[in-house]
Amino acid sequence: MRRPALVLVALVVALLSASALPASAQDKPRSGGELVFVVPSSPPSYDAHQEETFGLIHPTAPHYSTLLRVDPTDKTGTKPVGDLAESWTVSKDGLTYTFKIRSGVKFHDGSDMTARDVKASYDKILNPPAGVKSLRKTAYAAIASVDAPDATTFVVKLKYPEGSMLLNLSSPWNWIYRADTLAKDPKWYEKNVNGTGPFKFVEHVKGSHWVGKKNADYWDKGKPYLDGYRAIFISNSAAQVAAVRGERAMIQFRSFSPAERDSLVQALGPKITVQESPWDCLNLVAMHHEKKPFDDKRVRRALSLALDRYEGSKHLSKITLVKDVAGIQVPGTPYATPPAELEKLAGYGRDTAKNRAEARRLLKEAGVPDGFAFTFKNRGIPHPYEHLGIWLIDQWRQIGLNVKMEVIEASAYHPMLKRGDFDVAMDFQCGFIVEPDLDLPRFLSTSDANYGKHKDTVIDDLYSRQGRATDPEERKKLLRQFEKRLLDEEAHVIYTLQWNRVIPHLSKVKGWTITPSHYLNNQLDTVWLSE
Amino acid sequence: MALNPPIDRALEVEVPPAGGGWWEEVRDFCLRRPLGAVGAAIIVVMLVVAVLASVIAPYDPVINDFSAMLAPPSRAHWLGTDAFGRDVLSRLIYGSRTALLVGFGASVLGATLGSVLGVASAYFGGRVDLYLQRVMDVFLSFPLIILALALVAILGNSIPNLIMAIMIPMIPRSALVIRSSALAIREMPYVDAARAAGFGHGRIILRHMLPNVMAPYLIMLTAFLGQAILLESSLSFLGLGVQEPVAAWGLMLRGAAVEFAEAAPWMAIFPGLAISLSVFAFNLFGDSLRDALDPRLKTQ
Amino acid sequence: MTKYLIKRFLLMLPTLFGVALVTFVLIRVIPGDVVELRYSGDSGSVSQEIIDRERARIGLDKPIWQQFLTWMAGVVRLDFGTSMWTGAPIWEEIKLRFALSLQVAIMATIVAVVLAIPLGVLSALKQDTWIDYSVRIFSIAGLAMPSFWLGIVLILVMLVVFKWLPPMVYTPFWVSPTQNLAQLIWPALAVGYRYSAVATRMTRSAMLEVLREDYIRTARAKGLMQKLILSRHALKNAMLPVLTVVALEFAFLIGGLVVTEQVFNLNGIGLLFVQAVAHRDYTLLQALIMLVAGSFIIVNFLMDITYAWLDPRIRYR
Repeated sequence: MRRPALVLVALVVALLSASALPASAQDKPRSGGELVFVVPSSPPSYDAHQEETFGLIHPTAPHYSTLLRVDPTDKTGTKPVGDLAESWTVSKDGLTYTFKIRSGVKFHDGSDMTARDVKASYDKILNPPAGVKSLRKTAYAAIASVDAPDATTFVVKLKYPEGSMLLNLSSPWNWIYRADTLAKDPKWYEKNVNGTGPFKFVEHVKGSHWVGKKNADYWDKGKPYLDGYRAIFISNSAAQVAAVRGERAMIQFRSFSPAERDSLVQALGPKITVQESPWDCLNLVAMHHEKKPFDDKRVRRALSLALDRYEGSKHLSKITLVKDVAGIQVPGTPYATPPAELEKLAGYGRDTAKNRAEARRLLKEAGVPDGFAFTFKNRGIPHPYEHLGIWLIDQWRQIGLNVKMEVIEASAYHPMLKRGDFDVAMDFQCGFIVEPDLDLPRFLSTSDANYGKHKDTVIDDLYSRQGRATDPEERKKLLRQFEKRLLDEEAHVIYTLQWNRVIPHLSKVKGWTITPSHYLNNQLDTVWLSE
Repeated sequence: MALNPPIDRALEVEVPPAGGGWWEEVRDFCLRRPLGAVGAAIIVVMLVVAVLASVIAPYDPVINDFSAMLAPPSRAHWLGTDAFGRDVLSRLIYGSRTALLVGFGASVLGATLGSVLGVASAYFGGRVDLYLQRVMDVFLSFPLIILALALVAILGNSIPNLIMAIMIPMIPRSALVIRSSALAIREMPYVDAARAAGFGHGRIILRHMLPNVMAPYLIMLTAFLGQAILLESSLSFLGLGVQEPVAAWGLMLRGAAVEFAEAAPWMAIFPGLAISLSVFAFNLFGDSLRDALDPRLKTQ
Repeated sequence: MTKYLIKRFLLMLPTLFGVALVTFVLIRVIPGDVVELRYSGDSGSVSQEIIDRERARIGLDKPIWQQFLTWMAGVVRLDFGTSMWTGAPIWEEIKLRFALSLQVAIMATIVAVVLAIPLGVLSALKQDTWIDYSVRIFSIAGLAMPSFWLGIVLILVMLVVFKWLPPMVYTPFWVSPTQNLAQLIWPALAVGYRYSAVATRMTRSAMLEVLREDYIRTARAKGLMQKLILSRHALKNAMLPVLTVVALEFAFLIGGLVVTEQVFNLNGIGLLFVQAVAHRDYTLLQALIMLVAGSFIIVNFLMDITYAWLDPRIRYR
């Protein structure tokens, strides 16, 4: 009688300790090892103030620090934390931000970093000298001045209060450079690397690889855990998958497709861990408001009503980089619309048959005949543009529209949009931090990015009101109204499905948390290898 | 890509003597050159399939059917389905239309225009020949795919533009081959006789020279057809050729076919086989045709 | 002979100039602009002022004829300028990729010749037998298969059956020969197989032509041994057109492997070319096309000289 009981107890103890053991082994970061990852695109220059591509961020961000950064352990990617800023205070009127800069931080060449360097870097971003570009000048329109009254204080003064300023200052592009170097040659950083980040630059062989090694003098003692990293440039995605599969590379920081994830999981089993997250990128359909019949909001609403988003989400998420049905903010972030609310918008309801019948009725009312043909212009990029294009055409076929897809090469696409040379075209929206103030300005009537050329003062008004709202609940209400006007009442644009980031990586890579943006969490200071 | 037809600079071919019956020639060809006959048979099948596509194909090639996505070959879908639930067999069948349309269009136009230029160049000789040769040389120096890429980037990728983009690189190649044949004919006495009799240039070119380059023209055409199909599929594979949701073999090999190559190999295998088989057939036929028409290679 | 050489050399120059001109105009006709592309990224909007300034800096605001002359002045001095996308000197961008493409081209040529000559000769000697048919089917199959499909299938087979992958990163031959060959042998085989098809057919037809010669027929009548001895002699004569074809195809291999390089992830000239088109990097594109076209023209020239040297009749035309 006692024997079986003992065995049972032993079994339970064994099970408990077995489950406990790996957890404790996982928790303690281990120092050492080289992280090898693949990057699909090459950096054109080394100056993040002038570039917009992840091809620069992925291999080079580990060499630099920024004033603030987005918390790398937060999955929503919406929390600002200090990088070179130790702490900060905001004045009561919201117009002055005072940052205490860490002391004792050194650049890789040995010189000290002070608030003066922060000011020089921000001066370069806000007011670049002649011959130097800054892509982010307009993002900081609210800033009146930046000052460094002493070595450890950095002050930002605003013209008007902006609730999202801290997040804005957490931009992964605002690398802090050396003031003395910038004074001598503001273009030096285009071809050279010297930062305060967790890794020092070793070499870059064009088209081949980029190597960084541990910065032993990094201000965050104990970090980084890695001895170094190696980024390999591979543009062909099948080759990237093959690299991970052959365990020659450990991770790719942008995204793989669902099929690639499945093949890796099938081939490597427990050696692969998959992290997924909604992506701060989305494809929307732009309709030219000055061309018939898309000037009629009934036609635009019909095009949105025709889409069975939930079925689409279920199936397309198996073959391409889209998944969630979303509104104007990435699902899971503070200002995202709850799904129950979303269903009330046109085209977001669950009853597809009813929606499509309504769509047909609207088309007939607007005088659009059955079998009406138009051209849908799409961008020449496979994922997920091509897939979404095929899906959209098939959905529109089901309300009696005969749509032909014309694919414009990726390089010629943006000029085409700007010229307004389209009836209906695929548009895209990508951000690095999920924030309405950063995601929504493009829908303003005066925005350069308003390719459909809609003119709507209600939208413009709602946008500015939500930007100045200090109470989060008030802001949410205004955003809901904005969304309803944009997607339902006027159907200025049609949101398809939210992109989905899929990062399958070797299980030995630890300490890296996925966020909605592939521009975030690339400094690699928190990453360690378990073997 | 080794896409040039063999540059037979010294190849001279004759048209087989008239009379003796057309049907007998064909039968003779099939018996004496079984490889060429096989090639011809495949070509005929392809043509029939392309013409009767709407009758033969079991499904519509563009309608999405997510309930059957990525299905392996079965009774319902003989060759399986792709990532959008579209029947692979139906898309292959309709794809033959695209292949033949672009293939024939580009190669016939390219070969014909090039031949006219080649004959004219050989006939007029002297300065005209020199200048034309230089111009042809310039375009010949560009690898096929590079010129096609650039042209597609300029013209855009509708089917007519694609035909143009593939046709243009073929013109100098055919001009070169036909020119060497035409040079031999130019030396023939009946050309001089025609000039002496006062026939105009145009008439001599059209009535006397062009018919006599028929044989190398036909042989070259079969090689070009294969190359055009390959080039179209390469361009579609790169995303610069025919666009979705039109069915085209190269397009079917793009994207999902590669990603799902392990999980759903039928998506990649069958279009590749279709391309290979059709190019193979054209080349086989062309090869045997050359053997048949070149008197010096006859075994008897 | 010298007069012929000079004449052929002089004829090369207008062709090269023509290529430069056509290239220059052709790529500027392609819609799209390198400056816009560089600074639009994922979000797609950038101020006009920045665009105009950059254009002026690169020299795109000047009239086309002026841009052409500036460029040609550089070309004559073998200075191709700097890439419009990265700002680095052109030779720096090209050199590593050129080394790789060159090596693949050489290896593919070796594979092709090793396959083509024995097969072509065999096929000619045994014309119209099953051996002949099999050789022809084998070589035409190589011509018919799309190279990217062959590449996909090869990699799939290696992965699934052998559970092995070729190296992903290029190591130069002198650094590590095994790594280098392990990566490049596969595209060399895939490309060489295609390439051998043309050479095989050429060898076969050239051999057949020579075999018709009287002295061979006499040897045939005399017996097998004689035939073999004279076949080797015949082979030498047959090699000239084969050599021509091999050389010309080799010149094309340098820039023409666009799709193969994609499939095998080779950081070569073909891939660089596709990137340059996508970026509308005019200076890089121009340099690449001049490189490829230039090698083709030079190889052609060398072939002409060889022909003239071996066949005196050509010189006196």
